[in-house]
Parts: sequence; structure tokens; C-alpha cells
Amino acid sequence: MQRYFISRLVQSVLLLFGVLLLVFIMVRVTGDPATLMMPREASPEDVEAFREKMGFNDPTLVQFGRFISGAITGDFGNSLHFKTPAMPMVVGRLPATVQLALTGLVFAVVVGIPLGLVGGFNPGSVIDNIGRFLALLGQSVPNFWLALIMILYFAVRLQWFPSFGRDEWKSVIMPAFVLGLPVMGQIVRLTRSAVLEIRGEDFIRTAHSKGLMLRTIYTKHVLRNVAIPLVSVIGVQFGYMLGGSIYIEFIFSWPGMGQLLQQSIGWRDFPLVQALAVFTSAVVLGLNLLTDMAYAIIDPRIRYGK
Amino acid sequence: MSPKRFWIIISLLVISMLALVACQPTEVIVEKEVIVTQEVEVEVEKEVIVEKEVEVIVEVEAPEVPTGTLVRAISTFPNALDHPQAAERQASTTDWQMYDSLVWTGVGGTIVPQLADSWEASDDGLEYTFYLREDVVFHNGEPFNADAVVFNWERVVASDFEYAYHWQTAIAVEAVDEYTVKATLEAPNALFLSTVADNWAMIPPGYFEEVGQDGFNEHPMGTGPFKFVEWEKGDHITMEANLDYWRGAPKIETVVFRPIPESATRVAAIQTGEVDIVTRLSAEEAQSLMGVENVKIIKYPVARIYYIAFNNLTTGLEQPTMDAKVRQAMNYAVDVDTIIDALFDGFAEPASGYVASGELGYGAVQPFGYDPTKALDLLTEAGYPDGFAIDMACPAGAYTHFEEVCEAIVGYLSDVGIDVTLEIMESGQYWDMEANKELPPLFGDSWSATGGEAFRRLTGALGGFDASYSAWSDPEIDRLLAEIQATPDQDERAALYGELQEYMQEDPPFIYLYQPVAFEAINTRVQGYSPFPAETYDLFDVFVVGE
Repeated sequence: MQRYFISRLVQSVLLLFGVLLLVFIMVRVTGDPATLMMPREASPEDVEAFREKMGFNDPTLVQFGRFISGAITGDFGNSLHFKTPAMPMVVGRLPATVQLALTGLVFAVVVGIPLGLVGGFNPGSVIDNIGRFLALLGQSVPNFWLALIMILYFAVRLQWFPSFGRDEWKSVIMPAFVLGLPVMGQIVRLTRSAVLEIRGEDFIRTAHSKGLMLRTIYTKHVLRNVAIPLVSVIGVQFGYMLGGSIYIEFIFSWPGMGQLLQQSIGWRDFPLVQALAVFTSAVVLGLNLLTDMAYAIIDPRIRYGK
Repeated sequence: MSPKRFWIIISLLVISMLALVACQPTEVIVEKEVIVTQEVEVEVEKEVIVEKEVEVIVEVEAPEVPTGTLVRAISTFPNALDHPQAAERQASTTDWQMYDSLVWTGVGGTIVPQLADSWEASDDGLEYTFYLREDVVFHNGEPFNADAVVFNWERVVASDFEYAYHWQTAIAVEAVDEYTVKATLEAPNALFLSTVADNWAMIPPGYFEEVGQDGFNEHPMGTGPFKFVEWEKGDHITMEANLDYWRGAPKIETVVFRPIPESATRVAAIQTGEVDIVTRLSAEEAQSLMGVENVKIIKYPVARIYYIAFNNLTTGLEQPTMDAKVRQAMNYAVDVDTIIDALFDGFAEPASGYVASGELGYGAVQPFGYDPTKALDLLTEAGYPDGFAIDMACPAGAYTHFEEVCEAIVGYLSDVGIDVTLEIMESGQYWDMEANKELPPLFGDSWSATGGEAFRRLTGALGGFDASYSAWSDPEIDRLLAEIQATPDQDERAALYGELQEYMQEDPPFIYLYQPVAFEAINTRVQGYSPFPAETYDLFDVFVVGE
């Protein structure tokens, strides 16, 4: 098992390096920050001086070296827009994003798994149909549209929730719902199909023929096997929610990392975009690593080096 | 890890990267998704209602002590509240509520006293002496005096802030006595006072030396009507009334600034009453708010001109557009009024010259107007009876409906035989090319200006190789601009602006387009609020009723 963990760790580190490379290149192909940062009235000399000061004139390789050595120590330089170190600003936005993603995930899991289980054990039932409909809806409704509609209806019309910000406990409900809905849909479908598949397996028939109680078969044999794909999906989706809530945070003015990312791209704020992208990627990779480890604990087949 | 999972992670990463690159100025994109077709009569009716509502303002009495909370939505996150570091207007208009300058720009662009009671300029225009008020203290109780002014100037001039050049206008600032300050210029500069008004925000020297730059950024202070309370990054900025303000206490107890980047959310938040003032609304959004209870729409022309620029520096050199008659013809060929009606529901003004309404010297010339026959005659005179082919570029997603404006212009020009190939480019790349003067001989853009004068817009767009975003140079324009800069008298300067504009009608460096209208929505409980064309505002006289 140790070997498995170590190899996974090494893979993650390599991937993170790939991310650093991609981030560095991607940000630079989108345009020159100097012309955006300097006021329009500035003379060409002023713009050039700014470029020189920020080190944008150095050879790309030198810039990359500086970027990597900084990144290792968590130093991404000062944000061009805010003039303060980029990384602490990103970390400062983490609690809001985690709160949003966690709430969304809890919603998706608490609603999705029971619906999927009921559907899997009683395919074709009323609850199954409701669950499948919700799953389809959740996965096909565009989230920015849903967000705006919810603001219009629940904030403006009914005034149940605040339309933006992170002021009170009610603030998180609408954005978390919109963020969690597609994940919920995926969990419903996955749980349902996993239950259906496992119920037809030979070992379940054996368990039945051994005369085990239904409850034992369900909890000990079916659920344990359903848990394996679920853990993997939940892990990946949580990472995705942490990094992918850009539009939702933007629309609801949620003071998290996604909103900061949306704005920093508009400002061509290299250091901030880089810090955000690398940090988010590191979080996703870390979560995947944890997911794989959880796997190994749940599934002995992986643990024993299969 | 199975290869499949490996690829899932890789593709997730790639997708998130793409998402990073793809989400450019979203605000504008959302504005464009709203397509409103309404009958003209209905709009006119609505407009009348709005004007009536605005007149009601005076009836309510202001409270005697600061009362209530005002929440103002801003569309971006201020980068800093230290004024010389404030990178864009939403940041600088927010921080001004805490600061004062020596002088201030009043209604109609005139310079009025603020921390300086009076001032005088030497005859050669090289020395300005300011006589300061003696009763002003900073928020921490430090007295404001000549030494404080000198300290402020020295601090910014020595800094590497991008906006330090606004202070470098003066080459020396000295204290004459405790309440007299003398600023020396290198050359006469008619815009010196308006530069001071827009940029010289005064901060307390003792406090700054005690806490340093980082400490000051965390907790800024000045002499202004409101005092800093807290700044929760990305969430809100709170200020409270300065009871010891030298003009008397303001009328609101607490002011909260909340960033809401998505304009649809701003529209929702003003309707729920969560915020009291929202800005940067599109015409469609403003119209959707008309008739909503407790919401009032304010509209005013913005000091920004949209134009199609010609190029006589690089790409335009061999083109027919070198001929002034051709450029005149192209101005006559474009029907700006119809563009305004069709794309902006009539909420924009046709640009008359390159000076915006409310700026010094505005109105000296009339818009060209739509006259395709005259355009054809001029083209024939210039030797192009069958027109010609030319390239044009416009930025994507940078300005509301601007791509459509450019397409309309292509259509109008083809009506007079000019075959335009239009390329619409991603805006970041576009501005790089504009700065390098690599854009085609025709390109579209817009330019704002502060300080009540068109001067910086004119020098910026017509400064030739000395200006980053200029593609045009003309010795006559240079001469007139130099004269404007050296003429301190406002009336004489206005006449010079007139002369310049007349010249720029005869020999137009642009196809003049339009000046946009800005929309803000306020809660009806807000009284005495009136923003200026450059999106600036003063909350000192504003109050809220019903608390």
C-alpha cells in the first residue's frame, strides 16, 4: 500500500509541475499587461519603463525560472492590480469558496445519494422517476441562467434570500444550490446505476442463497460496493466545485477565489492569475490524492496492489 | 492511477485553463444578451416620468445630525484606497470620500476652493501660491498645514506609483509659512489646478510615518467627510461620518461600498433595497427598472467620445484617407443618429468634434450629419468616384454594442462605394496593436477625460509617436494644443478649443461617433445625490430619509 501512495504522490507532483508550465504559457499568450495597466495618457517611454520594472522584458526562460523558484516557496510576486503579495490574497479568499463548495456538496450528497439508492432498489417507482427527472434537470440547466432566475424569483420577488454577498447564513443557500445541482444530478445517476449493477452480481445472489437478511445484504455488500465509484466522483467533483465556481461567485458577488479569478483575468494581473490557478490546481490534485487513498481504504483490491 | 483517471484529471485541468482564458470582460457580454425592442412612444412616456421624479429632491429636509446608512454598489473591486495608487475610477471615486485636495472641480468644470481658501498664479504661469484653511485637521487629529502638503508631494513624487506623474506636474513644492504653499512648474500648464483637484489627495504625514505604506493601505485616512472603518476584501468597505469635518458633519452616518461585478445582480439588489445606489447600468437594464417602486433612474452624458480613428503615421500612409476630403466624406457617409436610435434606444449624443458636453469649449462645431450625396460629391472631387477598398479593426467585448456599431459603419461606407474589410479582435490583443500602431488604417475606440477638459483626450489620441494610443499627427493640432496648455485664462482657452475643433472638422482625424449616456439607479430614500459626467460624486450633501 505504501508503494501505491508514494507512486500517486510522485504523479501528483509531476502534474503540478505541468500545471505551472501551462499557467505560465497560457497567461502570456493573452496579451501584454503593460498596455492594460498603464493609463491611456501614458507615453510609450512610461509604458516601456513599467515593462522593464516588472521584468516583462526579460527572456521568457528567465521569467519562467523566476516564476518556478518563486512558486516553490509560495511566492508569486505582488499582484499588479492590488500591489500586495498575491498568494496571501488567494488564501484569504479560501474560506468563502470552501464554505460555498462544501455547502453545495453536502446538498448534492444528502439529496443525491438517497434518491439514487431508492431509485436503484426500486427502479420504475415514483421516487425513481422524480430522481431521474431531477438528475436530468440538474445536469442540463445552465448554471448562470439558473442563478439569475433564482435571484429574480427568490430574492427580488419573494425576498426570501439576499441577492448577493456573504452577510448571513441565508446568503449561501442560493449559490450553493446552483453549484450543487449538477453534482447532485450526477450522484443520483451514478448511485442508481451502481446499485442496479451490483444487485445483479453473482456474489449478491450467493448472499441471498446463503439466506442472509436483506438488511445485511444491502448494507454490507451492496452499499460497500456502491461507495467505491461514489467516493471517486465526490472527490473529483469537490475539487471541481472549488475551482469551477467562477460564474456563480461572480453572479452572486460571493467573495471567494472564483470571483477574484474572474476579475484578475480582466486586469491581466499575471501574478494573481498564476497564484490562483496554481493554488486551485494544487487543491484539486491534493483532493484527488486523498480520494485515491480513501479508495485504498475502502477497496482491499487496490490496497493489496492489484 | 488508471490511465482513464489520469486523463480525466488532465482534461479537467485543460478545461479549467480554457475557462480561465475564456472568461474575459463578462459584464459587457451579459449586457449584450439582453435584446429589447420597444416602441418609441412608450420610451418617451417613461422618460417624462423620470424627469418629474428627479425634481422632487428638494422637498425633504436634511437631518441635523448624520443619520442612517447608505449602501453603494460598485462594479469592480478597488485595488487600493490610497489615492495615487487607485487604478480605476471605481476605486478613486470611492476613496475620494475620505480625502480632500487643495482645490476642487465644481459644476461646469470650474475650479473652486477646498483645503486652499484661495490661490494665485504668477504672471509667467510658473508659480502657484495656495493659501490654506487654518481650521482643518486629519481624521487622527493631526493639523493640516503647509508642511503636510509638502510631505504629500514628496511622498508621491518619489514613489513608483503609475499615477505619480500627476504630482510630477509640479517640479517643486515648498512651504512659505505655516499656511502658505508654493508650487513651481517647469512650463506653464493651464491644467495644473484641475490636475491638483483630481489627484492631490492629502493624507496625514505623522500617521503615515508611524504606520508605513502597508499600514496606511490597511487603514487609510485623510481630511474628508467620511472616515475609514473597515475593508473586508472582496466584500465591503465601510466608512463613517467625520463629525469634525471642516465643512460641517456630513448627513449620513455610515457609508458602505459593496462590489457587485455582475450588472444583472446590481439590478436585482437595487430592487430588493439591499443597496441604495447602483451604477454602470445598460440602457436596457435602466429601462427594466423604470416604474419599479422605490427606484429612481438617473441618467447623464459621460465625458467619453467614441470614434473611428484614421492613421497617418504607419498603416494609413499610402491610403486614400490621407486626403482630408475623403475623411470628410466618410464623416458625412455615416448616419450616427440612426446608429444611436437602433443600438442605444436613443440614449447617446452624436459627438460634435472631439470635445464632450460639459467640457470647456463644447459646442463650437456641429456634428457632420448624414449626407450621402455630399459624401459622394467629396469622394468624386478627391478623385475616388468609384470608392476604394480599405481595412478596419474594432475591439471585441470592450464596449457596449461597439461591434455592431462597427458593422453598421461598414454598411454605411459601402453605400458610398468604400469597401471596408472589418476585423473584430480580442480587446487585449487589440490594445497591444493599437499601442504599437499596427492596427489597420481605420480603427474604432473610445476615450474618456477627467478634469472638465478634453485636453488629455486630445493629446492622447492626436499626439503622434509621442502618445501610446495615437495614430495621427498634425503640426497645426500640435500648435493649438501647445497654446491651450500655455493659456491659463479659461475663456481664451475655450476659444482655442473652438478654433481647434473647427480645424478638426475641415481636416478630420476621426469619424466622430457618439458620446454615451450613463445610467444609475438609486433608492428613492436617497436625497441630494447628483453624479458628475466623469462618474465622480460627492456624498457630503447626500442624505437618506425614512430612518
